[in-house]
Order: sequence, then structure tokens, then C-alpha cells
Amino acid sequence: MTTQVFKIPDSFKKDVRYTFCPGCDHGVAVRLVAEVLDELGLTQNTICAASIGCSVTIYDFLNIDTIESPHGRAMAVATGVKRAKPDKFVFTYQGDGDFASIGLAESMHAALRGEKISAICINNTTYGMTGGQLGPTTILGQVTTTSPTGRNLEYYGYPIKIAEHIALCDGTAFSARVSLDTVANIKKAKQAIKKAFEVQMKGLGLGFVEILSSCPTNWKMSPDKAHQRVREEMMPVFNLGIYKDVTQS
Amino acid sequence: MTQCLTGKKVLMKGNYAIANAAVLAGCECYFGYPITPQSEIGEFMSGKMQELGRAYVSAESELAAINMTIGACSTGAKAMTSSSSCAVSLMQEGLSYATSDQLPVVLVSVMRGGPGLGNIYPSQGDYFQATKGGGNGDYHLIVLAPSTVQECADLTYKAFYLAHKYKNPTVLLADGMLGQMMEPVEFKKYPYPEIDNSKWALDGAKGRTNRVIRSYAPLASNQCVYLEELYKKYKLIEENEVEWEEIGTEDADVVLVSFGSSARNAKIAAKLLREKGVKAGILRPITLYPFPAKRLSELALKVKKFITVEVNMGQMVNDVRLAVNGKVPVELIHKPVGIPPAPVEIVKQVEELI
Repeated sequence: MTTQVFKIPDSFKKDVRYTFCPGCDHGVAVRLVAEVLDELGLTQNTICAASIGCSVTIYDFLNIDTIESPHGRAMAVATGVKRAKPDKFVFTYQGDGDFASIGLAESMHAALRGEKISAICINNTTYGMTGGQLGPTTILGQVTTTSPTGRNLEYYGYPIKIAEHIALCDGTAFSARVSLDTVANIKKAKQAIKKAFEVQMKGLGLGFVEILSSCPTNWKMSPDKAHQRVREEMMPVFNLGIYKDVTQS
Repeated sequence: MTQCLTGKKVLMKGNYAIANAAVLAGCECYFGYPITPQSEIGEFMSGKMQELGRAYVSAESELAAINMTIGACSTGAKAMTSSSSCAVSLMQEGLSYATSDQLPVVLVSVMRGGPGLGNIYPSQGDYFQATKGGGNGDYHLIVLAPSTVQECADLTYKAFYLAHKYKNPTVLLADGMLGQMMEPVEFKKYPYPEIDNSKWALDGAKGRTNRVIRSYAPLASNQCVYLEELYKKYKLIEENEVEWEEIGTEDADVVLVSFGSSARNAKIAAKLLREKGVKAGILRPITLYPFPAKRLSELALKVKKFITVEVNMGQMVNDVRLAVNGKVPVELIHKPVGIPPAPVEIVKQVEELI
């Protein structure tokens, strides 16, 4: 007798050409979202607000209704969707530049209003699709195409710690930072995504997960080295953990 | 202001008439950010929408407001936002996306003085902004221009209808004078058929293939096909939805062309000119896009001169010149900003121009 131990989630499209770069963590993140949608039975009751950047391609991979948002506006678009159809499950899938730079106002205000939506933010410390420029989460000293000698305070100021800021908003029900660098961390990431989805389903407020992700192409590293960088350079600045969980207080 | 009546004449500000009509048109979601001279719309909606259990959000910016409207419209809902001039500038990106996404966004734009912060006086300085678009790419917004408070109500109904019929963002282009002035207005029942959005709206992909509303077209060839299709829709709109009012043009030597609040005075001026023996008529475009270019072109065969009357530095005059195509002269009477030129002032200037 055989037991199936691995299958493609139902929320995932079959026979799709995969377009993320080799070794990029977006693929794992999208898969985790698909698995959680499956497990919570949400696939046919969900509307996703996609964003701009590498994250936009989520609609090529998932079997869910999706609207593409202008750069930075996914949280506003998701707000409009949810207010119009409160019985639908609504989430955004964004990068750090989309969520925390150009879209910071939309993100913070959605959290402050306690919108009953969920947001997944991929933090890879750079603008990936445009070729690796400095973003809101680029860490001090990091070399990018627009910080050729490394991020310094004089010219660029500090990176933003997104999960902590979102946790400060009274309307946030859940805020966590996770990583995809190890199998153990991938499992924790899935739990966090599930929690961020469940708080919406319970009507408790915004569910937010910041996912530390590798970008081997723009970091010019092997996938393995890129995960090492996540551990050694990103985690000391962006500490993993749950910053707010109203179901635990 | 909590009235929401039909079948009874009431004295009401233009802004309230627009908001009241939106509620009666079945608007399910309102998203807005305050700006003079249209703030009464958001004030009215904040109370009324909550009272009716419909969606209302005090958005953090006009960027957010237009994108919330986009989100709501993606589900097929009747949704709107309202704003004015410098803040409508902030919405241009969203309007470009909404045309590409083919979403029935309704925007009420109550014009004030510009450019920049300008002032809160009435203006028609956003004719270009509304009809030519400040967003990127090839697109059109449907633009309706009320001239009375009654039309503010009637054309709000029509804006919802056309937006949904053509899946295209539609602008009700009023100005600070129409928004702030009071006139008698009677609210009819919403006179248009409800449009079935179930073939395209996002509702969770239950029992069907998922739908994606997107404007990202990575391949140039896809974008070529898409734009050709989009422009077939605009051709249909241009063939079927042009609306204008015409008075005294059958034997006119001079035709005044004017829209919105300035058309009120131009209409009186045309009458005064007739009394003085000048064969004057008026053509008032009600739809600014689609523009009554064909009718102007026909009139150009028998009219000696067109004169536009506008509260800006001369914007619609360009479209009239394009329509007339050099057949006869097209002149401009204008005031840069403020309440429209008085009828006697228009008469004086017409007499100098003919």
C-alpha cells in the first residue's frame, strides 16, 4: 500500500511555467500560501490583491480570483474588496518596497483601521524585479545598485522593521516575522501564515506576516549562500518572532 | 442633511444632490478624502452609508480612495469616490489602471482653481485633466458635465449606469459653483437597468476557473491586441453616448459652445444677443467624452463663427477647433478662474468678436 506524502496544493495551478529565479524564496512562500488556503478551505472564497514587483506573478500560480494593484496600493485595493464583499477572504501578497516604501501609508492605515484582511510581505532587502536597488529594508552596509559603497546613514538613513511597526497599530490582530532558510523555519512560517489568515476569518483585525527571503540573483550568491546571508546578516537586524497576537493576550 | 427622497422637489446644494443621487443609484461603497469645494459629498455619505449599512471609508489619501474604489469595483459593486482638482491629480494613476482593468469606477470631480493648490473658487481648468487624462497610456474616461443642480443628480445616475455598461471609469465633472449653489431638485427613481456583472466580477472562483483582473502585459503583442480591443469599446461609446443640448442653432450665424456652470450664462447671453438682432445659438456638450464633434462639424457648414465660453485659459476651444477643422473661425471668451463671465459681459465680447 502506498501513501501520498507530497502533492501539489489544489490552490496551485497545474502545468504552469515557473518564472521565479532559481533559489528564490518567493516560490516557497507562494506554496505555503497555497497550502494554507487549501487547509482552511478558502480556495473558492478568496480574492487576492496582488502588487507590483516580483510578487505580482502570484496570479500566474494560484487558482484564486485576483486583482492586480498599482505599486504600493494593494492594502487600499484589498480594503475596497473586503468592504464591498465582507464575506470573502481577502489577502495581499507584496514585497517590502511595495508594502513599506511606496505603500507605507496604505499599509499602516489599513492596520490602524483594523481592516479584516491579511497581508504577506516578502522582505529580501532589495528591489528585485528592477535589478537590485536599495529599498526600505536594505540593511546598513549592504551594497546595492543604488548604494554602490553600501548603505550609510548619511545618504540613506535606516531600514524599516516592518513587523514591529505593524504590531504597534491598534487594529492589528497578528504580526510576525518568519524566515524560509531552514525546514524548521518554513514550518513556523506556515503556522504564522495560517494564524494571519485565521484572525481575519474570526474578524479580529489585520493579520500580517513579514517573510525574510533570499534573492540569489540580485545578491549575486548561490541559493545556499543566500540563506546563509538571511541568517547571518538579516536576522540580527530583523529578529524572527511574533510581535502581536491578540488570540494569546 | 439626511434627506434621501424621491418624487418631491427640494432645495439642495449641488454636492448634496450628487451624494443623494449616488445613494439612490444604489452606490454600495464610498471612499473619500476631504477637499473643498466637494467635502459635503463625503460628509453626507459618512452618515447615510452607515445608516444604510453600506460601505464607507475615510481614506488616508486620494491615492488610497481611488484604489479602494478600484478594489470594490473589481467585485462588481457600485462604488465611487469624489474629490477636486489638485487631489484628482493624485488619482490619475488609479484612473489609468481602472481603464486598463476595465472597472466601473465613478469619480465625482468638483473643479476648483489651479494649477497647484490654486484656490477654492469655481473653475473649468480640469477639462484637460478629465478628457485627456493625466494618467499614462492610451485611454479615455467617460466625462459628464452637469450645468444645474438637477443635472448634478440626473447625471450621477447616468455616471453609474455608463460606468457599468461600458466597464469604464466615468467622471461627473462639476465645479465649485455647482457644488456649492442651491437650486430646486427632484430625485427620480434610478431610471436605468441594472447591469449584470457576474460574467467578470471577482467573487471567489466558486465552481469556475479563477479570474484575474490585471493590466500587466509582459508581451508587446498582447498589449497591441488589448489596446485594439479597448479602442473598439471607445468607438462604441463615441457612436452611442454623445449627449448635448442645442438652442437656436437652426438659423444661427454665431454659436456659443459652453459646458457646465459657464453654459448657464452663455445660454442667457445667446438669448440677449437674439434680442439685439444677432442670430446667436448655443451648443452645450453634456458629455465631454464622447465629445459632440460630429454635430459641431455639421454646424460648421452653415455657421459663420463658433465662440467657446469657458472658465479657464481656453481648453475645450481646442476640441471645438479640431471638430470644426478650419471650416470657420473658433474664438474664445474666457475667465481664468471664478464664477463664469456674466451674460452681459459675454454679449459685449461676442459683439466685439463678430
